[in-house]
Amino acid sequence: MVNTELRTVAILPPAVADQIAAGEVVERPASVVKELVENAFDAGATGVDVTITEGGRATIRVSDDGIGMARADATLAVERHATSKIRLASDLVGVASFGFRGEALPAIGSVSRLEIETATVDGSGTRVRVAGGTLESVADAARRRGTTVTVDALFYNTPARQKFLRGTRSEWRVIADVITAMALARPDVRITVSHDGREAFALPPAASLRERVAALWGVDTADALVAVDDVSGPVRVCGLVQRPADVGLSSRRVLLTVNGRAIRDTGIVRAAEAAYRSTIPAGIRPSLFLAVTLPAGDVDVNVHPAKAEVRFRDRWNTERAVERAVRRSLGTEESAAAFGFAHRTFMPPTFESGATMDVAALSSAPIPETPLFETDERDSEPDVAAPPAAAEIQVPPLMQLRNTWLLFERDDALVLIDQHSAHERILYEQFMRTLDRGEAPSQRLLFPMTLHLAPAEAEAFEDNRELFVRLGFEVEGFGGHTLLVNSVPMPHPRFDAERCLRDTLATLSGDRFGSGLAKHERLAATVACKAAVKAGDSLAPAEMRALYIALARTTLPAHDVHGRSTIVQVSWDELERRFGRR
Amino acid sequence: MRFTISREKLQEGLAAVASAVPSKTTLPVLANLLVQTTEKGIRISGTDLDIAVSTEVIADVEAAGAITIPARKLSEIARELPPAPVKISAAGDQRITLECGRSKFKLLGLPKSEFPSFPAVKFEKALRIPSGDLQKLISHTAFAASTEESRPILNGVLWELRPEHMRMVATNGHRLAKMDVPVKTASGPSSDLIIPPKALEQIRRLFPAEEELEVAQGENHLGFRSPFTAVYTRLIEGPYPSYDQVIPRDNDKYAIIDKVALTGALKRMSVVASDQTHRIRLSFNSGMLKFSVSTPDLGEAQDELPVRYNGDPLDIGFNAAYLLEILRYLPTEEIRLTFKAPERAATIEPEGWSDSAKYLCLLMPLRLVD
Repeated sequence: MVNTELRTVAILPPAVADQIAAGEVVERPASVVKELVENAFDAGATGVDVTITEGGRATIRVSDDGIGMARADATLAVERHATSKIRLASDLVGVASFGFRGEALPAIGSVSRLEIETATVDGSGTRVRVAGGTLESVADAARRRGTTVTVDALFYNTPARQKFLRGTRSEWRVIADVITAMALARPDVRITVSHDGREAFALPPAASLRERVAALWGVDTADALVAVDDVSGPVRVCGLVQRPADVGLSSRRVLLTVNGRAIRDTGIVRAAEAAYRSTIPAGIRPSLFLAVTLPAGDVDVNVHPAKAEVRFRDRWNTERAVERAVRRSLGTEESAAAFGFAHRTFMPPTFESGATMDVAALSSAPIPETPLFETDERDSEPDVAAPPAAAEIQVPPLMQLRNTWLLFERDDALVLIDQHSAHERILYEQFMRTLDRGEAPSQRLLFPMTLHLAPAEAEAFEDNRELFVRLGFEVEGFGGHTLLVNSVPMPHPRFDAERCLRDTLATLSGDRFGSGLAKHERLAATVACKAAVKAGDSLAPAEMRALYIALARTTLPAHDVHGRSTIVQVSWDELERRFGRR
Repeated sequence: MRFTISREKLQEGLAAVASAVPSKTTLPVLANLLVQTTEKGIRISGTDLDIAVSTEVIADVEAAGAITIPARKLSEIARELPPAPVKISAAGDQRITLECGRSKFKLLGLPKSEFPSFPAVKFEKALRIPSGDLQKLISHTAFAASTEESRPILNGVLWELRPEHMRMVATNGHRLAKMDVPVKTASGPSSDLIIPPKALEQIRRLFPAEEELEVAQGENHLGFRSPFTAVYTRLIEGPYPSYDQVIPRDNDKYAIIDKVALTGALKRMSVVASDQTHRIRLSFNSGMLKFSVSTPDLGEAQDELPVRYNGDPLDIGFNAAYLLEILRYLPTEEIRLTFKAPERAATIEPEGWSDSAKYLCLLMPLRLVD
């Protein structure tokens, strides 16, 4: 029987309370590493050395060269809610340090043997020992400025927790992930990590995120990333994102920091991924390293025990800023697929921002061939003056290869453009603008087209009827499965309206599951694909030039609507290397 | 085979035929010209299998025969020859020797047997048609034919032969040009032929206006012949769209406009028009035609032109490039533009044309968005 007398309410002794709190803060060795390294960052460390044994189960030692603590502070630090980082509740709003609750050390101390060696100046320091939450000793210690925290025998006094620890390798893997995230959040701090006596990380202080990424995963990975740097309103978004062409080729890495704090936020990540829409196939996801900076008051960091999540005051605007920033960076030529590897020197701390191309109407190709019936007495000057070069895009000499690619040279590389993909991209953006504005140039037909459709195609048409009309297809007399088309858009001189409409409907009707795109995007993408010049179409020089200019004016020139590359570049370096000149 | 020909006659013959030789071909012999001796001289022929051109020039034949000679090289040599008689002889199937003054060339040809035979067209029942009439029809209509591959039938020009008149019609589905000329010497039954514009251009170019041509139809080909020159062309098969039904008869509004002034205004507006559609708005008011164009991301423009117009005010949109092209072919100083509604076909005709021919162009409007 249950003894009801024991069921009176009692305040728990501090040691028990600390152990309970430790359950939230100290989940596993990796959480200890995170808390200690964050403390080191907060102490203004320029270098942090981490030593781990047995996946953190035996020892976790974190040494920094930060400001250190005086003896009184060091003794107090192991008490719960003792912190140097805030003083008043109001300080919580906009807190900039990693820690602020004063929870970490006492929580860790309550479930391990904890030793803190600290000194505010070189030479005389303090050593504080805590075991199972009890202060054991405070003694003099000789050390250099900074703090070393050693956590031995984690969970030695909570066998239940100890049982739930995973194996050495798996705990180590989690620690490595935590350290990676923190290393990316603070590229300026030197970080070394050794595990069981072997050096696992040796990251020199880096001037930029790209440099830190290079130190972690190699120069090739770093070079394949596109810089993001954009400010909208109070929100600044910078960092590195993967080129659409590379997405899905290697394992995905995501790091998101908000005001320097590495956090998880599916909303922000989804916003960044949304920026890739129409440049990568549905279902694969890009690597992202994004730092979001916003006024401290606009974000609440005190919502998660491990501070792994934050709350935004204006989430929608923040997400929009992230999407915009990433999208803008994908619009740069830098984001085009590379052949081989560009050997770029490290970026300065401020990220380069590629030239953002203007959005302008597609300059369609003029009629290619010289008119057959040109006679001497008629003036041979063109009827319609060439369009004024609004943005003055310099067109390099272009050459068509296999009626499929346009080749040209740039200062740094040999560049190939896929004519179909490029045209598709141009038309897609043109159609999207048309759908947004509802303004479609539409040519009346002398002989209306009659299309006999299969039931699924007829259904696809009915589903998208209003969008087709906005694109410039005027359709009437829908009797049974027969369409009568009176007007068609004229996106370019080679446009074959009938085939385009037929192929589009066939594709839409076959594609039952959609592709994650909104309906109008899907229609624009499909029509663009069907309306674009195909591989194998021979282009006149004037058409190639017009294509180049129109592509340069799109927002995402380097990627077509299926996520394939539009532009592939071979750097001169790479070429020289292949010819043995380097 | 051996003959002597004047440099000028050789150049003349080559100039007529060379344009029928395709610049790129998968059949090597098509890059060659067939040279055959005749009673009076030589006959030079070239073909791309769609169109064949052959012309006879006077030469002094010593030994009859035939051979094919690389067209490009022969033309280049003929252009650079000194002014002296040219002696050409063939040894065997392939070896050609060309001598002119002190210059001597040896070329490799291909056997005559490899050259495709000309279409079987019998000229016994040929129609006789003045070349001048044909030229007039071709030069006023062929421009309107389509260059899109989607509807091959519109890539051709329809030639209607009737007892009292003949007519050519060409359209690309957006605009149409149609001309009728009366036939003076009624001959032959009615027939409808669809001809590639490229062949028509050869016909217009090769036959002098004053000549009378013989025209005869083979199974799938049409032959045009004058005493020296012949052009054969493949016909495009299939029913031509019933264009007559779409030519508006009830256009109740019309404007008489000065062609040069209209052309000028349209060219000015075109500068700011969309590159794709060249869309321009024409606003007809009593006595005045206003032009306006507005292109997103680019700019806008307006212009005005006094015209003779008495109908109700009406706005209509056109592709300026199409309109300008039509204006180039209109023979008179003033034009008559008729229309009914912004979405209906407009017609453009010469105004005050004292000619036995009847000419009409039709243009479908572009949708205007207000």
